[in-house]
Amino acid sequence: MKVTVTGIPVKDQDKALEFYTGKLGFIKKIDVPLGGGNHWLTVVAKEEQDGPEVLLEPSPNNFEPAKIYQQALFDAGIPYTQFSVDDLQQEYDRLLNLGVAFSLKPTVMGTVKLAVFNDTCGNNIQLVQML
Amino acid sequence: MNFYQTEMNRIKRTCYSNKEQIGTVVGVRNFIEDNFEKQLNLSLLSRVNYTSKFHLMRLFKKYYGLTPKQYLINKRIAASKYHLKKGMPVAETCYAVGFESPCSFSTLFKSKTGITPAEFKKKQLLQSECKVGAGTLGTHPKN
Repeated sequence: MKVTVTGIPVKDQDKALEFYTGKLGFIKKIDVPLGGGNHWLTVVAKEEQDGPEVLLEPSPNNFEPAKIYQQALFDAGIPYTQFSVDDLQQEYDRLLNLGVAFSLKPTVMGTVKLAVFNDTCGNNIQLVQML
Repeated sequence: MNFYQTEMNRIKRTCYSNKEQIGTVVGVRNFIEDNFEKQLNLSLLSRVNYTSKFHLMRLFKKYYGLTPKQYLINKRIAASKYHLKKGMPVAETCYAVGFESPCSFSTLFKSKTGITPAEFKKKQLLQSECKVGAGTLGTHPKN
């Protein structure tokens, strides 16, 4: 058994694809129409294109509990997931220049440095640099 | 301050208040990152920040969730994947990332990734050939 896909709920798949590729720098890997305007849509890290895929799933629009759960996490400031970076300050500066909004600026917490941003699709996402 | 930030502050206070310990393990981790291809052992690592071997092992595990040896192995395996993807021969990769025997390297690599370094290298080669082939046919694999 292998981990190949992990999902992130998004309110709008087109907008999510734009954000995750245009701002974060991921690359679109799979895009299969599923009817009703929904797609099986995955992106991968540019440096690890054969690595795990992030599924941008339209669950908040199709399943009410997913919408409620996503909103509750967002309101509490809890990240839906996290991505690793080599230099958090550099990535923070880059994303800030692209207009990305952060709810947590780069902060050292023991052996990691963290920051949290709004993915504009209903989620907080955490960036982590191991120290 | 939202719920997450409040929780982060609580965890900082309760788990990460000992700056000296954190400085020690971060220093050792950085040393491993910079020197993983050399012959490292716990005695040498403990001298980086003047701690006893067993104290260091406990501290490292406490803050990183792995012993220094486990961390070093993971680092070397990750580095070996990089070299193999670039086409480096298996034996050369073994020594380049700090392992001493190609045989034990293969065994360890297989236990961590499920395939041997030779199989991994072959798989990477096939994938890159497929990408070139798809590119030639105008069907880029990224799309």
